[in-house]
Amino acid sequence: MITKRTLCATAVATLAALTLSTSALAQKAKVESKEDIVLGGSIPMTGVFAFAGIGVDQGIKDYLTILNEKGGIKGRKVRYVPEDTAYKVDQSMAAFKKITSQNKVNLYYGDSTGFARTVNPELERAQSMLMTGASFAKELSDEKKYPLQFMVGPNYSEMVGILLQYIAKTKPGAKIALVYSDTEFGRDPVDAARTDAQRLGLSIATEIVTPPASVDVSAEVIKLRRADPDYTIFHGYVSAPIPEFINQAKALNLKTAFMGTFWSMDNSTVMRMGPNVDGFLGVMPYRYYYDTEGKAPMLERIRKMRPEYQSTAYTQGFLSAMLLTEAARRTLEAGNELNGKNMKVALSSIRDFDTGGLIGVPLSIKGNSIPIGRIYRADFKQQKMLPASDWINLQK
Amino acid sequence: MRIGSAKETYAADTALFDSATQHAWVAILLVALVTFPFVVDDYWLYLACLVAINVASTAGLNVLTGYTGLVSMGQAAFMGLGGYTVAILQIRFGTPMLLNLLAGGVVAMLAGLVVGLPSLRVKGLYLAIATIAAGVLAHFIFSHYTSLTGGTGGLTLPPAQIFGLELDDSFKLYWVIVPITALMLLGVANLFRTRIGRAFIAIRDRDISAEVLGIPLLPYKLLSFAISSFYAGVAGGMFAYFFRAVTPESFPLLMSIFFLASVIVGGMGSVLGSILGAVFMTLVPEVLKLVVGWLPLGDNAMLVLSPVRTIVFGLMIVLFLIFEPHGLAEVWRRVRRFFHLWPFKT
Repeated sequence: MITKRTLCATAVATLAALTLSTSALAQKAKVESKEDIVLGGSIPMTGVFAFAGIGVDQGIKDYLTILNEKGGIKGRKVRYVPEDTAYKVDQSMAAFKKITSQNKVNLYYGDSTGFARTVNPELERAQSMLMTGASFAKELSDEKKYPLQFMVGPNYSEMVGILLQYIAKTKPGAKIALVYSDTEFGRDPVDAARTDAQRLGLSIATEIVTPPASVDVSAEVIKLRRADPDYTIFHGYVSAPIPEFINQAKALNLKTAFMGTFWSMDNSTVMRMGPNVDGFLGVMPYRYYYDTEGKAPMLERIRKMRPEYQSTAYTQGFLSAMLLTEAARRTLEAGNELNGKNMKVALSSIRDFDTGGLIGVPLSIKGNSIPIGRIYRADFKQQKMLPASDWINLQK
Repeated sequence: MRIGSAKETYAADTALFDSATQHAWVAILLVALVTFPFVVDDYWLYLACLVAINVASTAGLNVLTGYTGLVSMGQAAFMGLGGYTVAILQIRFGTPMLLNLLAGGVVAMLAGLVVGLPSLRVKGLYLAIATIAAGVLAHFIFSHYTSLTGGTGGLTLPPAQIFGLELDDSFKLYWVIVPITALMLLGVANLFRTRIGRAFIAIRDRDISAEVLGIPLLPYKLLSFAISSFYAGVAGGMFAYFFRAVTPESFPLLMSIFFLASVIVGGMGSVLGSILGAVFMTLVPEVLKLVVGWLPLGDNAMLVLSPVRTIVFGLMIVLFLIFEPHGLAEVWRRVRRFFHLWPFKT
């Protein structure tokens, strides 16, 4: 007969054996891959940002698979070590500490503005890493304050700047409404938007601040109707309350055109907003998964690897891995030590870089952001975001 | 009670550690705490500091909720007040770390006194809502008083300094954060050997009876709020030094729920419960990550198991509440009782 004691003893013994064997395997793997270049990641696989984290994670993995199949960087494989953060700064930091204390990390992907800010002193102290991440906060564009970080795309102010440039060209002197969430994310581009609008001869008809993901926006829509803007720019949201705004505006026959920024622009996010979203505009720094125009061998490769639709977060992760490893490659090829400072110098040396079609124009990196983007328009019938402008480069 | 440890004096009866065995364990714990930073890596040091900060705040909330019976959902807001006070003092005036922490505690304490005022009229869920309002107000101030708080972008601190030494990593901060937390725990433990502490317990058990016994409710309830928010303020200050950045989003309502859960899971009205609860709530997600990491599931393990891990964590809390409503402290007491009475059945 199996007694409780026997059962407990067996369970403990099994657990101990499993622990010992797996730690031995892990130790062996560590020794074998001593020369690997490690890309660590604080990735939000759970929590409110998991929708993006999962895509980012797969994007990084896929790019590194392609890179390692080609032999890695100067014969050194790039190993990806992610940890889930639940999109919480303390857990992101724990993940960073765990990954960096168990591996010699040179490249890192962070999950939020809060994390980028918190980890910055650690990066400067270690001087061994180059980091990018999911945040496009304007603050991170400051090269002096964040010398070892960069973002894979325009910052939020530049995203709104691209939208405003498009508006100024399409409808000079247009009236704009800014609708943003009462969060750090939402307020980030507001000051710059006011300045840019004035510079481009546009007027800000109204500014509406809402709680993030709010549901009841009736009062705000009435405010919007009173202002009667030609364009309404949303920022600081992923989805809600954008669909509610659009539906109510449609019911009131408002003629305003609605626009979004990167995190509300994924194809599946937009199409889930319903049929009224048709004509929704927004800025996107990358080509969509299904874009077939122009030469885009990397997109074709992605489509071969993953036949189902991949989100824009996936592309962001993919491109992050591409640029991080490109910086490492240039550093090693120049015969320099693989440290944060050298990799940042190497990254800044990138001129007219071909991303394999992920971005429609060759990119050059000056500073911490890449202010390139394009306006896409939602076509609900085709269930696709389609190009509505050429690529807009604020560097020029 | 331990076999063969009869108490002959009142002092012996109220002693924090009442036997040679306990003294030995405390000595072992102290040695472990001192040697810990030298034997672990940066990751565990980081977690140790984080746990210590959470223990300090949980201990404060336990004074209010566990010992005085006043439910508060404003602990994160008080931590925020402490954190911002420390950040502002450090950035603008460069005042010494310990003074800043004290000031952080005092500012939070003053806010706690104001927030505590409704506690004479309202209790339970109503008081919880009132304290949530305090959190919302604090968040509004942090976000909108831009000239002082840096607005939604918050404030970034330089590293703390003690005797010219920059406390810029977890190893150095450990030697400040852990002793301060230990001191705070000692303070709470001693508080409940005094009239004030006993008055708190009397209010919790039946406030009308307490008043009949001569305990004025308002001063004592306010005092409980003051102590609790002072602890939160100091913990918030340590949080600010530890993360070197404070933003309005650093102290969300969810954080208050985290501390309330720590108190409940650890054991209400117990110092040991505060420690065990905070350790559990902080470390279990990390331990689950370690366990998941050990499983030989290949590259996609994180993708598949991350949600499972979150469910397991939630389930563990629910199971605790069902099967051990007195919290981890009671489990601990039961284990101790087993050894104290061994070989007799408990």
